[in-house]
Amino acid sequence: MLNAYQLLLRLYPATYRAEFGEEMAAVFEDVRTDSGHNAFAARAVFYVREIVGLVSGAFREHLHFRFNAPDVSLFPRGFTVRNGFRFPRATPILMAIILAGVILAIRKGEVIATSLPPFSQPVTPIHPAHSYLLPGVFEGFIFFYAAGLIGWAIVFALRRSGVHRLRDVSSGSK
Amino acid sequence: MSLEAIVDSLPLSEPVLLILVSLAGQPRHGYAILKDVERMSDGRVVLSTGTLYGAIRRLLEDDWIERFEERETSRGRQAYRLTSRGRRNLQLEVDRMKHLTRLATLRAATNES
Repeated sequence: MLNAYQLLLRLYPATYRAEFGEEMAAVFEDVRTDSGHNAFAARAVFYVREIVGLVSGAFREHLHFRFNAPDVSLFPRGFTVRNGFRFPRATPILMAIILAGVILAIRKGEVIATSLPPFSQPVTPIHPAHSYLLPGVFEGFIFFYAAGLIGWAIVFALRRSGVHRLRDVSSGSK
Repeated sequence: MSLEAIVDSLPLSEPVLLILVSLAGQPRHGYAILKDVERMSDGRVVLSTGTLYGAIRRLLEDDWIERFEERETSRGRQAYRLTSRGRRNLQLEVDRMKHLTRLATLRAATNES
């Protein structure tokens, strides 16, 4: 894991890496050792936080070193992974839909592949089906993945808006 | 850095403020800062190493903190401490927050009465 971290450190400008790289890797190793006895979810959150921190930090440092730009963040304000982070309850449902979509796309691809005539006979399509049907596994995967991402973004936006807390607000009148 | 420039850089972001508060007590190395920030914020602010060292780079550049080699430990790690400028800026930020808190308390009390 330390090797992967050091690999990600290469995203930083060379001067920054020379000054802080070794120290950052040592601190990462200390924190990783410290969180070794934590539950799987807590360790996953730790790794996600580190990756997000490294990528956004590298982006910021490049802007700073190249253009002397003021500090900016790659991620919107508030997009931080905290210890208390929990996936929205809709996430497993969306993931199941994505998985079902991928499986269906693969099955469909297999059916199409087995039903095709042998290559010796020329195939002349009556009409171009690919313009309105999902033609293959890859496109199917992309489609369902995008649908899942959009769904996740909607759930994330709704949670950020606090709409799920509205039911806790009582008017005080009976 | 002039006083106007310092005032322009206020308010400090929460991670930067917590890092400065952490170093106000005593000099610390990177890992100790991370743990202290987490402890002070009751686990609400957990810095990644990327975020921590981004903030440290800026604070070093602006001469708010300085680096020195920690001699007490066998590893000879780099540690950080507040400079006099950093301490003064932290005090300015604390004063600003105190003023804001006083004002908010007063207004809230007036509204209730």
